[in-house]
Amino acid sequence: MEAASYLGAMLFWVIAAVLTLGASLAVLLPLARQAEGEADTSHDLEVYRDQLTELDKDAARGLIAPSEAEQARAEIARRIIKLDAESGSKAKSASPLAPRLVGVVAVLAIPVLTWSIYTAIGSPDVPSQPLKARLEQKPADSSVDELIARAEAHLIANPSDGRGWDVLAPIYQRMGRADDAVTAYRNAIRLEGSTAARQSGLGEAIAGVSGGIVTSEASVAFEAALKLEPANPKARYFLGLALAQEGKVAEAAIAWRQLAESLPADSPWRSVAEQAVAQAEAPGAPANQAAGAPGPNQSDIDAAASMSSGDRTAMIEGMVATLDEKLRQNPRDPEGWLRLVRSYQVLGKTELAQEALGRAYEALGRDSEDGRKLTELAGSLGLKVTE
Amino acid sequence: MVEMGHFALVLALVLSLVQSLVPLYGAYKGDAKLMAVGGPVTVTGFAMIALSFAVLTLAYVQSDFSLVNVWENSHSLKPMIYKFTGTWGNHEGSMLLWVMILSFFGALVAAFGSNLPATLRANVLAVQGWIGTAFLLFILITSNPFTRLIPAPIEGKDLNPILQDIGLAVHPPLLYLGYVGFSVCFSFAVAALIEGRIDAAWARWVRPWTLAAWVFLTGGIAMGSYWAYYELGWGGFWFWDPVENASFMPWLAGTALLHSAIVMEKRSALKIWTLLLAILTFSLSLLGTFLVRSGVLTSVHAFASDPSRGVFILGILTVFIGGSLALFALRASSLTAGGIFHPISREGALVLNNLFLTTATATVLIGTLYPLVVEALFGEKISVGEPFFNLTFGPLMMPLLVLVPFGPLLAWKRGDVAAVAQRLMFAFGAALLVVLVTFLFIDGASVFAALGAGLATWLVLGALTDLALKAGIGNVAPKVALRRFLGLPRSVFGTALAHLGLGLTLLGIVGVLSFEKEAILVMKPGQVLEIASHRLRFEGLQPVRGPNFTEDQGRFSLLGPAGQPVAEIVSAKRFYPVRQMPTTEAGIKTLWLSQLYISLGDEANDGAVVVRVWWKPLVTLIWGGTLVMMAGGFVSLMDRRLRVGAPAKRKSADKKPSPVAT
Amino acid sequence: MTRKQKRLSVIAGALAFLGAATALTFYALGQKASYFYMPADLQAATLEPGQRIRLGGLVENGTIVRGQGTEVAFGVTDSEETVKVRYTGLLPDLFREGQGVITEGSFGSDGVFVADSVLAKHDENYMPKEVADSLKEKGVWQESAQ
Repeated sequence: MEAASYLGAMLFWVIAAVLTLGASLAVLLPLARQAEGEADTSHDLEVYRDQLTELDKDAARGLIAPSEAEQARAEIARRIIKLDAESGSKAKSASPLAPRLVGVVAVLAIPVLTWSIYTAIGSPDVPSQPLKARLEQKPADSSVDELIARAEAHLIANPSDGRGWDVLAPIYQRMGRADDAVTAYRNAIRLEGSTAARQSGLGEAIAGVSGGIVTSEASVAFEAALKLEPANPKARYFLGLALAQEGKVAEAAIAWRQLAESLPADSPWRSVAEQAVAQAEAPGAPANQAAGAPGPNQSDIDAAASMSSGDRTAMIEGMVATLDEKLRQNPRDPEGWLRLVRSYQVLGKTELAQEALGRAYEALGRDSEDGRKLTELAGSLGLKVTE
Repeated sequence: MVEMGHFALVLALVLSLVQSLVPLYGAYKGDAKLMAVGGPVTVTGFAMIALSFAVLTLAYVQSDFSLVNVWENSHSLKPMIYKFTGTWGNHEGSMLLWVMILSFFGALVAAFGSNLPATLRANVLAVQGWIGTAFLLFILITSNPFTRLIPAPIEGKDLNPILQDIGLAVHPPLLYLGYVGFSVCFSFAVAALIEGRIDAAWARWVRPWTLAAWVFLTGGIAMGSYWAYYELGWGGFWFWDPVENASFMPWLAGTALLHSAIVMEKRSALKIWTLLLAILTFSLSLLGTFLVRSGVLTSVHAFASDPSRGVFILGILTVFIGGSLALFALRASSLTAGGIFHPISREGALVLNNLFLTTATATVLIGTLYPLVVEALFGEKISVGEPFFNLTFGPLMMPLLVLVPFGPLLAWKRGDVAAVAQRLMFAFGAALLVVLVTFLFIDGASVFAALGAGLATWLVLGALTDLALKAGIGNVAPKVALRRFLGLPRSVFGTALAHLGLGLTLLGIVGVLSFEKEAILVMKPGQVLEIASHRLRFEGLQPVRGPNFTEDQGRFSLLGPAGQPVAEIVSAKRFYPVRQMPTTEAGIKTLWLSQLYISLGDEANDGAVVVRVWWKPLVTLIWGGTLVMMAGGFVSLMDRRLRVGAPAKRKSADKKPSPVAT
Repeated sequence: MTRKQKRLSVIAGALAFLGAATALTFYALGQKASYFYMPADLQAATLEPGQRIRLGGLVENGTIVRGQGTEVAFGVTDSEETVKVRYTGLLPDLFREGQGVITEGSFGSDGVFVADSVLAKHDENYMPKEVADSLKEKGVWQESAQ
């Protein structure tokens, strides 16, 4: 790669030099050549002579009357005579020094100006990056984006490659591209069959799309996973989360406790579940952790698993704050508002939830469809809907 | 090698600078060698810009998103043809196309101008060089298409879907060939002013360039009009939009120039006026470029507005228009005035044509600039649209169109109107008949429609009368007449075709404006609509997936007399996900000269959809007529006497004849 | 007539023609130019009944009501005032709630603006210029960083 780019840069400078040389020659050659002079009036004479023949033709064809033709002929003749009188009045004065100097300056200006301007504004070291070549280079040289694009290109060409979808799905999920993850999991399930891992992954992706809320659609996927593998920890954890988000914190705690007890000590899910239980049972904290903004992806969960409960709350609050900030900048996001109001309430911050609700009404309008959804949610969360 | 394009562009700028100064100085000093530099430098400069453009095109074709310009305006899934045309479907790329065409014309002058007087040639190339330098600076400073983006994104932001159409392949290049073609006339005019004399060779040269530019501009405007007609989904062919006016003004002035150049070439009269028109026409092209590219107007053409660009182009505009007009004021008096003529003569008719056309140009100019001026001065926002132009442009054009058939029939120097009128009796009688028949026998025809149809007939038959008279049809034996007809100079055919095309376009406009039928309704699948005695059945909506869009196709069947489907018309609503943009793809069925035009609206319940259907009688004539006009210009250009440069030199058998002159 | 008189009469004719054309142009500008208003500007404006104007602003959220066939009603707002607009026909592709539009027409006797043309933006980067300028003045709309 190093060598190739070095060669590429060399090639660039070589071609640039050749082009510059060619351009300089375009100035130099005419200066070196012996120029031939020609009387200026010869061109006019040609034109007038041509007009005469044209006139004769028109007259022969009967387009103009003979008398008119005669008149016109006389007029052209007058012009030719006038022309003769004008010619010869010019003398050429050649003062050789100044023009030669101008020629030399012009020839030199081409390389000097071009190279100084180009080096100031150009990026000679940056090679071309045609998309196809980028997708074909060695995987080690590619960025993650390029690798994903490559896989996508492959899947566009072979959309029935189930294994491709299977590989890509969790990568999408980790990249935060929940929408694409849902599609990929669905394709993998369709083509390769349903497994607990795919179903629970699909559920997680769906939850990711709706911002961490375990929707009924996500629950269906998790339940399908449990049917295939009753012990699947991801599915059990998220179904617990679904209970918590519905406000059934006690039932959620039971589910998580059962999950934690059934798992070996070294399972990452065990500590996740244990901490969820601790959080749920903590006095004054009726909420659970994961209701917050962008759905916890695998790395978040891994990170959360190794945190203290305080750190984890901080992390979740951070996520919610990010969402809040985003909505301040771009308030036109009904889904986001629903999520934010719910998250604050779930975190036990009723005042903030109330305030977020107010802002949401302001942004979306109380009477719009989205406004009604907000009102519904506020009612179910026990928030005041001020008129 | 993307950077090669950037380097070549810088090289072109420096070459253009040399082209601006060295030949000019050479002409001033009378130094043949310095003057001779102009040609090779111009041609090399064109080669560099062409290389640069080719590199940019390759970057588009290969989806090289390390260029900001490609990233912003392309997408890897875009169909190949639009990757290609997308090169100029954005501000930076279209400006590069602009200068490439400019330098192309310069190169043509350099290549075929070997028989021009040396000083004239040198000065013309220098003036071309000034324009090129100004616009290359503009590109490199404010609109560089070679700005890099590191690290390169993996996917682009896609081209505005409205531009993803075959129209983009044709409309801008044709339009620019027209706009920029007038730069040659401008350079000739300024060169003549610098030299302080206009010779016969000058007139010979200016006319073919005007003709060529005019042919391209006509095509560009017509193509733009047809594109807007089918792509925007409202079925309108001309909106008096400021951007359209920006291209229409140089066309009107160019048409005037075309006519005054005839007088100048044939009669050595109107020299100073022709020179002024040449300057004005290109000034209007520059003004058009400014209006469209600066962002003072918003439209589909204003890709992105950036104040620095507007100021820069305004600067170019001021320098070139102001400078050339100042030069004109200083030097015009030193030019010798030409021959005299009687007001009633071919020359007189052409002057009248110029009077009308330039006044019409001024009207369009005022209507276009007035809102800008009012906003700048009083902060009030107003818009000047169709009603204004109908009231001003219309009355100015009507008398001109009535007079058109007289012009070619009048004799030079002193004509006889009564004799010409007598010769046009047949055309007049036929036009009158058309007026009466239209008014009495076609339902819903207004007086205005009848007169319009009559005027169109008058133009068409007037043009044919001109040909018939010149061939002597009716006066001499058919065989002789045929031989004469075939032997007519091509410029006579050119004139007749151009005027005939004008009549056809007018007929199309009258047809659509007066006899159009329209229906807006909600259609359920299976429902039949009757419009202008055509029966259309809606077959239903069907989702279809395109390469970078999805669409709902509405299928319609055109029913024959027995109720059987005879043709299918597909109209669609498209959605381009990358830009989150819907577009309407009108369904158009051409039935002889008329069209059925269907555009889809929103979907209602149970598969029903809002449908707008137009019957557009004779609509294709609008663009068909412009094609005939272009053919006229082209035929005229082929006339031996008009060919670039002097006629074949009998005396110099040793010299290679220039390729165009043979 | 002498040659001089002839020339003078030709020049006088041309000048008369130009004068007439100029007069016509300025008469037409006075009669046919339509003014652009935002809803809040309307109170200060004196409109003659039936006078054609261009009304611009944002399509207010939740105000689009589709009637029979292709009838549609919506509110155009500049966040201070809202004007009810009625229109029959196909709406432009990019007509959406919260987006800038320019409508052209005149006020009906019931105080509803009857539009005969509705223009929306051409692509997602573009806001009708008049609307964008006026909204910026009012501080309602900022150009989003692209």
